[in-house]
Amino acid sequence: MADKLDIARWVDEGAKAIGLPIASEYRDKVILNVERSLAIAQPLLVLELDDELTPLPVYRP
Amino acid sequence: MSDPLSKAATATEIARAVASGKVTAAAVVHEALSRITLCEPTVNAFTDVLAERAQKRAAAIDAGKAEGPLAGVPFAVKNLFDIAGLPTRAGSKINLDGLKAARDGALVRKLEAAGAILVGGLNMGEYAYDFTGENAHYGPSRNPHDPTRMTGGSSGGSGAAVAAGEVPLALGSDTNGSIRVPSSLCGLFGLKPTYGRLSRAGSFPFVDAFDHLGPLARSTEDLALSFDAMQGFDPDDPACTDREVGPTAPMLHDGIGGLRIAIAGDYFARGGEPECFEAVATVARALGATKTVVLPNAAAARAAAYVITAMEGGQLHLPRLRTRPQDFDPDTRERLMAGCLLPGSWYVKAQRFRRQYRDAVLKLFDEVDILLAPATPCSAPRVGQAMMTIAGVELPVRANLGLFTQPISFIGLPVVAVPTRKAGAMPIGVQVIARPYNEAAALRVAAYLEKQGVCVSTPA
Repeated sequence: MADKLDIARWVDEGAKAIGLPIASEYRDKVILNVERSLAIAQPLLVLELDDELTPLPVYRP
Repeated sequence: MSDPLSKAATATEIARAVASGKVTAAAVVHEALSRITLCEPTVNAFTDVLAERAQKRAAAIDAGKAEGPLAGVPFAVKNLFDIAGLPTRAGSKINLDGLKAARDGALVRKLEAAGAILVGGLNMGEYAYDFTGENAHYGPSRNPHDPTRMTGGSSGGSGAAVAAGEVPLALGSDTNGSIRVPSSLCGLFGLKPTYGRLSRAGSFPFVDAFDHLGPLARSTEDLALSFDAMQGFDPDDPACTDREVGPTAPMLHDGIGGLRIAIAGDYFARGGEPECFEAVATVARALGATKTVVLPNAAAARAAAYVITAMEGGQLHLPRLRTRPQDFDPDTRERLMAGCLLPGSWYVKAQRFRRQYRDAVLKLFDEVDILLAPATPCSAPRVGQAMMTIAGVELPVRANLGLFTQPISFIGLPVVAVPTRKAGAMPIGVQVIARPYNEAAALRVAAYLEKQGVCVSTPA
């Protein structure tokens, strides 16, 4: 489990990678929301899926 | 039977009264506009009132130039629906700088083709990323049953306008619960149809994978009547089904005979306040439902819905987050920014899991026709409340009011939210969930509960 320091770095480096400037006054709340997302995503992240399981495509050629 | 000019009148009652000549559409619109003027300082449901357009349309109906099953019925739409001549706000300040809509959204056109009269655009949480009904730009919509409390969102204005009796019918959108949550908190009937059943053309998107549109009303007849008028294939929405239209009004009062009804257990039986489980128990008792079934991995479904929402929503708004972050609602901005930064592997896993979960839940429908689950984990929190205590755990309101709705819209099942209310308490809803494309069964159950007096919606 990533600690707060790791998430802060994740936010800073990730934002740079996608070209999203995050003003200093927004940064703490972005970090908080990534932390919350990580917590909420856990039940999905811990699941093991079969290799054969593919998504349902919406795209229809 | 209500006076068709009163705030308690349903869309069905108004349509009958106009069709029979008992009242004119002009009088109905006049009363609706008067109620809007009276109620708005309290409930803040409307962002745009279209008095002139509505009066012209009413005059055309009274002159016999338009007719249909909804002739003379005033309605309003969440302001993410295109309204010709207006910018499509989608709850934002940024969109006001965009182009004005060249024509109405597809469902607005369909309702007007059935004779209904659009009277305005409704307040909503910014870009629909919201369960509260609050909005930093336009102020919070307020719950007509207690204006110190939230309407729920993101279709907050839709909930407030119908619960206040300003209009009998409103359209909302529901990505993760945005029709069902305000229906629950405002004491309304709300229909989130099967994914792809109603066209989304001419509405501002949020999360393509989960976006649905649908009606909120104070009667099941109004849901059925409006839903039937809005069905039909639309090539302008790539997700819109080309299945045959499935009318619901003709069998609305067929009762519940032959329907196997079960209560959703496990995930849906914990993590809420006692009032939400009491509401499910009340509805289950009235329906004679005793069987409990488990939707496997519902917690993971909620997690996957959250991930897909955060990432699709974030990606959609990334250009504006780069250039105009100061113009977002502060309660939306950092959530969207965070969504832009989540790993792509989460998104793909969530989509793969979606298929597994869908297959498992559809299998349950071999044994049952209807599932019952809470709509919200609690009744309406106070306006401005950021955190809430649910089953002893402190949680952010904005992200968690939809924890029971998310695992259902995740796989696009049709749901009717039905209202319950104990004396002296705020309303709280129950989800009546059916298999895909069987809106008719969920509406039949809702109509039965309404007829039994178990689920009744009255304006504040």
